[in-house]
Amino acid sequence: MKRPADLAARRVVRLLRWYPASWRARYGEEFAELLLAELTEQPRSARRTANVIASGLLARCTAAGLTSHELPPAEQIQTGAATMCAAFAVFLTFGVAMLAQLATGWQWASPRSASAAAGTVAMCAGVAVLLLISLAAAVPVAWAVAVVAIGHRDGRLARPAGLALACAAALAIGTRHFQNSWPGTGGTGAHHHLVPAGLAAFGWAWTLSVSSFWAHPALLVIFPVAELIWMLLSPVAVIALVAALVTVVRRLALSGGLLRYLTQLAVAASAAAVPFLAGAASWVLGSGPGQAGLFRPGLVDGADLLMMALSLVVALRLSLALLHARRQLPAAD
Amino acid sequence: MPDPASTPAQAGSLVTFGRYAGPATLILSSLADGAKHGYALTKDIEEFASVRLAPGTLYEALSRLESQGLIEALASEDRRRPYQLTVAGAQALRAHLADQRRVADVGLRRLARSWGPA
Repeated sequence: MKRPADLAARRVVRLLRWYPASWRARYGEEFAELLLAELTEQPRSARRTANVIASGLLARCTAAGLTSHELPPAEQIQTGAATMCAAFAVFLTFGVAMLAQLATGWQWASPRSASAAAGTVAMCAGVAVLLLISLAAAVPVAWAVAVVAIGHRDGRLARPAGLALACAAALAIGTRHFQNSWPGTGGTGAHHHLVPAGLAAFGWAWTLSVSSFWAHPALLVIFPVAELIWMLLSPVAVIALVAALVTVVRRLALSGGLLRYLTQLAVAASAAAVPFLAGAASWVLGSGPGQAGLFRPGLVDGADLLMMALSLVVALRLSLALLHARRQLPAAD
Repeated sequence: MPDPASTPAQAGSLVTFGRYAGPATLILSSLADGAKHGYALTKDIEEFASVRLAPGTLYEALSRLESQGLIEALASEDRRRPYQLTVAGAQALRAHLADQRRVADVGLRRLARSWGPA
Protein backbone atom coordinates (compact mmCIF):
# COMPACT_ATOMS: atom_id res chain seq x y z
CA MET A 1 0.00 0.00 0.00
CA LYS A 2 1.33 3.41 -0.97
CA ARG A 3 1.85 6.17 1.61
CA PRO A 4 -0.34 9.30 1.27
CA ALA A 5 2.79 11.42 0.70
CA ASP A 6 3.78 9.25 -2.28
CA LEU A 7 0.28 9.45 -3.71
CA ALA A 8 0.27 13.24 -3.34
CA ALA A 9 3.68 13.51 -5.02
CA ARG A 10 2.44 11.43 -7.93
CA ARG A 11 -0.67 13.59 -8.28
CA VAL A 12 1.51 16.70 -8.31
CA VAL A 13 3.68 15.24 -11.07
CA ARG A 14 0.57 14.42 -13.09
CA LEU A 15 -0.84 17.94 -12.62
CA LEU A 16 2.46 19.56 -13.61
CA ARG A 17 2.32 17.77 -16.98
CA TRP A 18 -0.44 20.17 -18.04
CA TYR A 19 2.16 22.95 -18.12
CA PRO A 20 4.72 23.41 -20.92
CA ALA A 21 8.33 22.36 -20.32
CA SER A 22 9.61 25.95 -20.34
CA TRP A 23 7.13 26.90 -17.58
CA ARG A 24 8.02 23.80 -15.53
CA ALA A 25 11.71 24.64 -15.83
CA ARG A 26 11.08 28.08 -14.30
CA TYR A 27 8.25 27.50 -11.81
CA GLY A 28 7.87 23.71 -11.60
CA GLU A 29 9.74 23.08 -8.35
CA GLU A 30 8.14 25.84 -6.29
CA PHE A 31 4.71 25.18 -7.80
CA ALA A 32 5.04 21.49 -6.85
CA GLU A 33 5.79 22.56 -3.26
CA LEU A 34 2.69 24.75 -3.20
CA LEU A 35 0.53 21.93 -4.58
CA LEU A 36 1.91 19.49 -2.01
CA ALA A 37 1.05 21.92 0.79
CA GLU A 38 -2.44 22.38 -0.66
CA LEU A 39 -2.95 18.63 -1.00
CA THR A 40 -1.89 18.11 2.61
CA GLU A 41 -4.38 20.70 3.77
CA GLN A 42 -7.21 19.58 1.48
CA PRO A 43 -6.55 16.21 -0.22
CA ARG A 44 -9.43 16.36 -2.73
CA SER A 45 -10.71 19.41 -4.61
CA ALA A 46 -12.17 19.16 -8.10
CA ARG A 47 -12.19 22.97 -8.31
CA ARG A 48 -8.44 23.14 -7.60
CA THR A 49 -7.69 20.40 -10.14
CA ALA A 50 -9.76 22.21 -12.79
CA ASN A 51 -7.97 25.48 -11.98
CA VAL A 52 -4.52 23.89 -12.35
CA ILE A 53 -5.50 22.20 -15.64
CA ALA A 54 -6.98 25.41 -17.04
CA SER A 55 -3.91 27.40 -15.96
CA GLY A 56 -1.62 24.77 -17.51
CA LEU A 57 -3.44 25.01 -20.83
CA LEU A 58 -3.30 28.81 -20.61
CA ALA A 59 0.46 28.58 -20.00
CA ARG A 60 0.73 26.41 -23.11
CA CYS A 61 -1.16 29.04 -25.12
CA THR A 62 1.16 31.70 -23.68
CA ALA A 63 4.19 29.65 -24.70
CA ALA A 64 2.70 29.59 -28.21
CA GLY A 65 2.34 33.39 -28.21
CA LEU A 66 -1.46 33.20 -28.16
CA THR A 67 -2.42 35.03 -24.96
CA SER A 68 -2.33 38.57 -23.63
CA HIS A 69 0.60 37.68 -21.37
CA GLU A 70 3.36 39.56 -23.14
CA LEU A 71 6.65 37.76 -23.71
CA PRO A 72 9.85 39.71 -24.46
CA PRO A 73 9.48 41.06 -28.07
CA ALA A 74 12.09 38.79 -29.71
CA GLU A 75 10.73 35.73 -27.90
CA GLN A 76 7.16 36.72 -28.80
CA ILE A 77 8.04 36.97 -32.51
CA GLN A 78 10.00 33.72 -32.55
CA THR A 79 7.31 31.82 -30.63
CA GLY A 80 4.57 33.41 -32.72
CA ALA A 81 6.36 32.56 -35.98
CA ALA A 82 6.67 28.93 -34.88
CA THR A 83 2.97 28.74 -33.98
CA MET A 84 2.11 30.52 -37.22
CA CYS A 85 4.04 27.78 -39.04
CA ALA A 86 1.79 25.15 -37.42
CA ALA A 87 -1.39 27.15 -38.08
CA PHE A 88 -0.57 27.48 -41.78
CA ALA A 89 0.33 23.80 -42.02
CA VAL A 90 -3.22 23.01 -40.87
CA PHE A 91 -4.70 25.68 -43.15
CA LEU A 92 -2.80 24.48 -46.22
CA THR A 93 -3.40 20.79 -45.57
CA PHE A 94 -7.16 21.23 -45.61
CA GLY A 95 -7.05 24.00 -48.20
CA VAL A 96 -4.93 22.04 -50.66
CA ALA A 97 -7.15 18.96 -50.19
CA MET A 98 -10.15 21.06 -51.19
CA LEU A 99 -8.39 22.85 -54.04
CA ALA A 100 -6.96 19.61 -55.43
CA GLN A 101 -10.49 18.21 -55.62
CA LEU A 102 -11.76 21.30 -57.47
CA ALA A 103 -8.73 21.54 -59.77
CA THR A 104 -9.08 17.87 -60.69
CA GLY A 105 -12.80 18.31 -61.28
CA TRP A 106 -12.09 21.27 -63.58
CA GLN A 107 -10.04 18.98 -65.81
CA TRP A 108 -13.14 16.95 -66.56
CA ALA A 109 -15.60 19.82 -66.92
CA SER A 110 -15.98 23.47 -66.01
CA PRO A 111 -18.03 24.15 -62.87
CA ARG A 112 -21.69 24.99 -63.44
CA SER A 113 -22.01 27.69 -60.81
CA ALA A 114 -20.27 31.06 -60.78
CA SER A 115 -19.56 30.74 -57.04
CA ALA A 116 -17.66 27.46 -57.54
CA ALA A 117 -15.68 28.93 -60.46
CA ALA A 118 -14.87 32.18 -58.64
CA GLY A 119 -14.05 30.27 -55.48
CA THR A 120 -11.63 27.97 -57.27
CA VAL A 121 -9.89 30.88 -59.00
CA ALA A 122 -9.57 32.75 -55.68
CA MET A 123 -8.14 29.64 -54.02
CA CYS A 124 -5.63 29.14 -56.85
CA ALA A 125 -4.43 32.73 -56.51
CA GLY A 126 -4.34 32.45 -52.71
CA VAL A 127 -2.36 29.23 -52.64
CA ALA A 128 0.14 30.61 -55.15
CA VAL A 129 0.75 33.67 -52.94
CA LEU A 130 0.97 31.51 -49.80
CA LEU A 131 3.52 29.18 -51.40
CA LEU A 132 5.62 32.15 -52.52
CA ILE A 133 5.52 33.60 -49.00
CA SER A 134 6.45 30.20 -47.52
CA LEU A 135 9.41 30.02 -49.89
CA ALA A 136 10.47 33.56 -48.99
CA ALA A 137 10.42 32.58 -45.30
CA ALA A 138 12.04 29.18 -45.76
CA VAL A 139 15.13 30.35 -47.67
CA PRO A 140 16.69 32.67 -45.03
CA VAL A 141 15.63 30.37 -42.16
CA ALA A 142 17.12 27.32 -43.94
CA TRP A 143 20.32 29.28 -44.52
CA ALA A 144 20.52 30.29 -40.86
CA VAL A 145 19.86 26.67 -39.82
CA ALA A 146 22.56 25.36 -42.16
CA VAL A 147 25.10 27.86 -40.81
CA VAL A 148 24.40 26.90 -37.20
CA ALA A 149 23.72 23.16 -37.60
CA ILE A 150 26.56 22.39 -40.01
CA GLY A 151 28.97 25.24 -39.38
CA HIS A 152 28.77 25.13 -35.58
CA ARG A 153 27.82 21.42 -35.35
CA ASP A 154 24.81 22.23 -33.17
CA GLY A 155 22.92 18.96 -32.58
CA ARG A 156 19.95 20.71 -30.97
CA LEU A 157 19.20 22.23 -34.37
CA ALA A 158 20.63 19.53 -36.61
CA ARG A 159 18.35 16.79 -35.27
CA PRO A 160 14.98 18.54 -35.88
CA ALA A 161 16.29 19.98 -39.15
CA GLY A 162 17.31 16.46 -40.26
CA LEU A 163 13.90 15.09 -39.22
CA ALA A 164 12.16 17.85 -41.20
CA LEU A 165 14.22 17.06 -44.29
CA ALA A 166 13.58 13.32 -43.96
CA CYS A 167 9.82 13.83 -43.55
CA ALA A 168 9.66 16.26 -46.47
CA ALA A 169 11.60 13.81 -48.67
CA ALA A 170 9.36 10.88 -47.66
CA LEU A 171 6.24 12.94 -48.34
CA ALA A 172 7.54 14.13 -51.72
CA ILE A 173 8.54 10.62 -52.85
CA GLY A 174 5.31 9.04 -51.62
CA THR A 175 3.18 11.77 -53.16
CA ARG A 176 4.96 11.46 -56.52
CA HIS A 177 4.36 7.72 -56.43
CA PHE A 178 0.66 7.89 -55.59
CA GLN A 179 -0.22 10.87 -57.78
CA ASN A 180 0.32 8.66 -60.82
CA SER A 181 -1.93 5.84 -59.64
CA TRP A 182 -4.92 7.69 -58.29
CA PRO A 183 -7.95 7.39 -60.59
CA GLY A 184 -9.38 10.76 -61.54
CA THR A 185 -6.09 12.62 -61.71
CA GLY A 186 -3.83 13.12 -64.62
CA GLY A 187 -6.24 15.08 -66.81
CA THR A 188 -8.46 14.20 -69.74
CA GLY A 189 -6.70 15.98 -72.52
CA ALA A 190 -6.63 19.09 -70.40
CA HIS A 191 -9.10 21.17 -72.38
CA HIS A 192 -10.54 22.76 -69.25
CA HIS A 193 -7.69 22.80 -66.85
CA LEU A 194 -7.16 25.69 -64.48
CA VAL A 195 -4.19 24.12 -62.70
CA PRO A 196 -1.62 21.91 -64.49
CA ALA A 197 -2.79 18.30 -64.21
CA GLY A 198 0.40 17.14 -62.50
CA LEU A 199 0.11 19.81 -59.81
CA ALA A 200 -3.53 18.97 -59.13
CA ALA A 201 -2.65 15.28 -58.85
CA PHE A 202 0.28 16.09 -56.55
CA GLY A 203 -1.97 18.09 -54.24
CA TRP A 204 -4.54 15.32 -54.25
CA ALA A 205 -2.03 12.60 -53.42
CA TRP A 206 -0.35 14.77 -50.75
CA THR A 207 -3.68 15.17 -48.95
CA LEU A 208 -5.17 11.75 -49.72
CA SER A 209 -5.80 11.21 -46.01
CA VAL A 210 -8.23 14.17 -45.90
CA SER A 211 -11.11 12.04 -47.05
CA SER A 212 -14.76 11.32 -46.30
CA PHE A 213 -13.96 7.62 -46.75
CA TRP A 214 -12.93 7.53 -43.06
CA ALA A 215 -16.60 7.98 -42.22
CA HIS A 216 -17.45 4.90 -44.28
CA PRO A 217 -14.89 2.27 -43.25
CA ALA A 218 -16.60 -0.46 -45.30
CA LEU A 219 -15.81 1.45 -48.50
CA LEU A 220 -12.10 1.58 -47.70
CA VAL A 221 -11.74 -1.99 -49.01
CA ILE A 222 -11.83 -0.63 -52.56
CA PHE A 223 -8.45 1.04 -51.93
CA PRO A 224 -5.26 -0.86 -52.71
CA VAL A 225 -3.40 -1.76 -49.51
CA ALA A 226 -0.48 0.51 -50.43
CA GLU A 227 -2.80 3.52 -50.70
CA LEU A 228 -4.43 2.74 -47.37
CA ILE A 229 -1.00 2.60 -45.76
CA TRP A 230 -0.19 5.95 -47.41
CA MET A 231 -3.43 7.44 -46.09
CA LEU A 232 -2.45 6.34 -42.59
CA LEU A 233 1.25 7.22 -42.68
CA SER A 234 1.26 10.50 -44.63
CA PRO A 235 -0.52 12.47 -41.84
CA VAL A 236 2.04 11.12 -39.38
CA ALA A 237 4.82 12.38 -41.67
CA VAL A 238 3.10 15.79 -42.01
CA ILE A 239 2.72 16.10 -38.23
CA ALA A 240 6.36 15.11 -37.69
CA LEU A 241 7.45 17.60 -40.37
CA VAL A 242 5.52 20.46 -38.78
CA ALA A 243 6.69 19.56 -35.25
CA ALA A 244 10.30 19.51 -36.49
CA LEU A 245 9.91 22.88 -38.26
CA VAL A 246 8.33 24.44 -35.17
CA THR A 247 11.23 23.14 -33.05
CA VAL A 248 13.77 24.54 -35.49
CA VAL A 249 12.16 27.99 -35.54
CA ARG A 250 11.94 28.08 -31.73
CA ARG A 251 15.54 26.98 -31.19
CA LEU A 252 17.18 29.12 -33.84
CA ALA A 253 18.80 32.35 -32.69
CA LEU A 254 17.30 34.87 -35.11
CA SER A 255 18.65 38.37 -35.69
CA GLY A 256 16.44 41.44 -35.21
CA GLY A 257 16.39 41.99 -38.97
CA LEU A 258 15.23 38.44 -39.68
CA LEU A 259 12.58 38.68 -36.93
CA ARG A 260 11.19 41.85 -38.55
CA TYR A 261 11.25 40.18 -41.99
CA LEU A 262 9.43 37.08 -40.70
CA THR A 263 6.82 39.29 -39.03
CA GLN A 264 6.09 40.99 -42.36
CA LEU A 265 5.78 37.64 -44.10
CA ALA A 266 3.53 36.23 -41.37
CA VAL A 267 1.17 39.19 -41.65
CA ALA A 268 1.21 38.97 -45.46
CA ALA A 269 0.43 35.24 -45.28
CA SER A 270 -2.51 35.87 -42.96
CA ALA A 271 -3.83 38.51 -45.37
CA ALA A 272 -3.40 36.17 -48.37
CA ALA A 273 -5.24 33.38 -46.56
CA VAL A 274 -8.39 35.49 -46.23
CA PRO A 275 -9.32 35.45 -49.98
CA PHE A 276 -8.36 31.77 -50.08
CA LEU A 277 -10.85 31.03 -47.28
CA ALA A 278 -13.43 33.28 -48.93
CA GLY A 279 -13.02 31.30 -52.16
CA ALA A 280 -13.45 28.02 -50.31
CA ALA A 281 -16.53 29.34 -48.50
CA SER A 282 -17.91 30.63 -51.80
CA TRP A 283 -17.77 27.10 -53.19
CA VAL A 284 -18.95 25.17 -50.12
CA LEU A 285 -21.70 27.55 -49.06
CA GLY A 286 -22.62 29.16 -52.37
CA SER A 287 -22.89 26.16 -54.68
CA GLY A 288 -26.43 25.09 -55.43
CA PRO A 289 -27.70 21.54 -55.69
CA GLY A 290 -26.96 21.41 -59.43
CA GLN A 291 -23.25 20.76 -59.01
CA ALA A 292 -21.97 17.48 -60.34
CA GLY A 293 -19.00 15.22 -59.63
CA LEU A 294 -16.13 16.76 -57.74
CA PHE A 295 -17.81 20.18 -57.66
CA ARG A 296 -20.55 18.89 -55.36
CA PRO A 297 -19.52 19.88 -51.82
CA GLY A 298 -19.93 17.29 -49.10
CA LEU A 299 -19.71 17.13 -45.33
CA VAL A 300 -15.95 16.64 -45.47
CA ASP A 301 -15.66 19.97 -47.30
CA GLY A 302 -17.65 21.67 -44.55
CA ALA A 303 -15.27 20.17 -42.00
CA ASP A 304 -12.30 21.34 -44.11
CA LEU A 305 -13.73 24.84 -44.16
CA LEU A 306 -14.17 24.85 -40.39
CA MET A 307 -10.58 23.72 -39.79
CA MET A 308 -9.28 26.38 -42.19
CA ALA A 309 -11.36 29.07 -40.49
CA LEU A 310 -10.09 28.07 -37.03
CA SER A 311 -6.45 28.04 -38.12
CA LEU A 312 -6.90 31.42 -39.83
CA VAL A 313 -8.36 32.91 -36.64
CA VAL A 314 -5.24 31.72 -34.80
CA ALA A 315 -3.01 33.17 -37.55
CA LEU A 316 -4.76 36.55 -37.51
CA ARG A 317 -4.52 36.78 -33.72
CA LEU A 318 -0.84 35.92 -33.92
CA SER A 319 -0.33 38.55 -36.62
CA LEU A 320 -1.57 41.28 -34.29
CA ALA A 321 0.68 40.04 -31.48
CA LEU A 322 3.66 39.89 -33.88
CA LEU A 323 3.06 43.44 -35.10
CA HIS A 324 2.88 44.68 -31.50
CA ALA A 325 6.10 42.82 -30.59
CA ARG A 326 7.84 44.11 -33.75
CA ARG A 327 7.19 47.71 -32.70
CA GLN A 328 8.87 46.97 -29.37
CA LEU A 329 12.05 45.44 -30.83
CA PRO A 330 15.13 47.58 -30.08
CA ALA A 331 15.79 49.85 -33.06
CA ALA A 332 19.51 49.05 -33.20
CA ASP A 333 18.95 45.28 -33.23
CA MET B 1 -2.20 39.99 -27.04
CA PRO B 2 -1.80 43.39 -25.47
CA ASP B 3 -4.73 45.74 -25.50
CA PRO B 4 -4.14 48.09 -28.46
CA ALA B 5 -5.65 50.90 -26.41
CA SER B 6 -3.00 50.61 -23.72
CA THR B 7 -0.64 53.56 -23.60
CA PRO B 8 3.00 53.76 -22.51
CA ALA B 9 1.78 55.42 -19.30
CA GLN B 10 -0.12 52.25 -18.48
CA ALA B 11 2.94 50.03 -18.88
CA GLY B 12 3.77 48.50 -15.51
CA SER B 13 0.38 49.44 -14.08
CA LEU B 14 -2.25 46.90 -13.09
CA VAL B 15 -4.66 48.19 -15.77
CA THR B 16 -3.02 45.89 -18.32
CA PHE B 17 -3.58 42.76 -16.20
CA GLY B 18 -7.21 42.29 -17.29
CA ARG B 19 -8.91 39.60 -15.22
CA TYR B 20 -5.68 39.08 -13.28
CA ALA B 21 -5.80 42.64 -11.87
CA GLY B 22 -7.65 41.39 -8.78
CA PRO B 23 -5.23 38.55 -7.92
CA ALA B 24 -2.28 40.84 -8.76
CA THR B 25 -3.55 43.51 -6.34
CA LEU B 26 -3.93 40.91 -3.59
CA ILE B 27 -0.44 39.53 -4.19
CA LEU B 28 1.20 42.97 -4.24
CA SER B 29 -0.68 43.93 -1.07
CA SER B 30 0.51 40.77 0.61
CA LEU B 31 4.11 41.39 -0.43
CA ALA B 32 3.95 45.00 0.77
CA ASP B 33 5.06 43.95 4.26
CA GLY B 34 7.80 41.56 3.15
CA ALA B 35 8.81 38.68 0.91
CA LYS B 36 6.69 35.51 0.85
CA HIS B 37 6.62 32.21 -1.05
CA GLY B 38 3.55 30.76 -2.78
CA TYR B 39 1.88 28.99 0.13
CA ALA B 40 2.56 31.86 2.55
CA LEU B 41 0.98 34.24 0.02
CA THR B 42 -2.11 32.04 -0.24
CA LYS B 43 -2.55 31.91 3.55
CA ASP B 44 -1.87 35.64 4.06
CA ILE B 45 -4.34 36.66 1.33
CA GLU B 46 -6.94 34.30 2.76
CA GLU B 47 -6.46 35.95 6.15
CA PHE B 48 -6.64 39.62 5.16
CA ALA B 49 -9.01 39.41 2.17
CA SER B 50 -11.03 36.25 2.87
CA VAL B 51 -10.16 35.08 -0.65
CA ARG B 52 -8.34 31.83 -1.33
CA LEU B 53 -6.38 32.13 -4.57
CA ALA B 54 -6.29 28.81 -6.46
CA PRO B 55 -2.72 27.63 -7.18
CA GLY B 56 -2.99 28.02 -10.96
CA THR B 57 -4.37 31.55 -10.67
CA LEU B 58 -1.72 32.49 -8.11
CA TYR B 59 1.15 31.42 -10.34
CA GLU B 60 -0.35 32.91 -13.51
CA ALA B 61 -0.56 36.26 -11.70
CA LEU B 62 2.93 35.82 -10.20
CA SER B 63 4.48 35.16 -13.62
CA ARG B 64 2.74 38.23 -15.09
CA LEU B 65 3.88 40.41 -12.19
CA GLU B 66 7.42 39.11 -12.52
CA SER B 67 7.55 39.64 -16.30
CA GLN B 68 6.32 43.23 -15.79
CA GLY B 69 9.06 43.81 -13.21
CA LEU B 70 6.59 44.50 -10.39
CA ILE B 71 7.94 41.67 -8.22
CA GLU B 72 11.19 39.72 -8.21
CA ALA B 73 12.14 36.23 -7.13
CA LEU B 74 14.65 35.75 -4.34
CA ALA B 75 17.02 32.82 -3.91
CA SER B 76 15.17 29.58 -3.34
CA GLU B 77 14.59 28.39 0.25
CA ASP B 78 14.71 24.61 -0.10
CA ARG B 79 12.29 24.10 -2.98
CA ARG B 80 10.17 27.17 -2.17
CA ARG B 81 10.97 30.48 -3.80
CA PRO B 82 10.03 33.75 -2.07
CA TYR B 83 9.02 36.84 -4.01
CA GLN B 84 9.41 40.46 -3.03
CA LEU B 85 7.97 43.75 -4.23
CA THR B 86 10.13 45.92 -6.51
CA VAL B 87 10.17 49.72 -6.49
CA ALA B 88 8.02 49.71 -9.64
CA GLY B 89 5.67 47.24 -7.97
CA ALA B 90 5.30 49.46 -4.91
CA GLN B 91 4.52 52.46 -7.14
CA ALA B 92 2.01 50.49 -9.20
CA LEU B 93 0.29 49.17 -6.05
CA ARG B 94 0.17 52.63 -4.47
CA ALA B 95 -1.37 54.15 -7.63
CA HIS B 96 -3.87 51.31 -8.03
CA LEU B 97 -5.01 51.42 -4.39
CA ALA B 98 -5.32 55.22 -4.53
CA ASP B 99 -7.62 54.82 -7.57
CA GLN B 100 -9.66 52.22 -5.72
CA ARG B 101 -9.86 54.46 -2.64
CA ARG B 102 -11.20 57.34 -4.79
CA VAL B 103 -13.93 55.06 -6.16
CA ALA B 104 -14.71 53.73 -2.68
CA ASP B 105 -14.88 57.28 -1.23
CA VAL B 106 -17.29 58.45 -3.96
CA GLY B 107 -19.48 55.37 -3.52
CA LEU B 108 -19.60 55.70 0.27
CA ARG B 109 -20.33 59.46 0.09
CA ARG B 110 -23.20 58.92 -2.34
CA LEU B 111 -24.56 56.06 -0.25
CA ALA B 112 -24.47 58.23 2.85
CA ARG B 113 -26.29 61.07 1.03
CA SER B 114 -29.05 58.90 -0.40
CA TRP B 115 -29.37 56.10 2.12
CA GLY B 116 -28.06 57.66 5.32
CA PRO B 117 -24.86 56.93 7.19
CA ALA B 118 -23.93 53.30 7.82
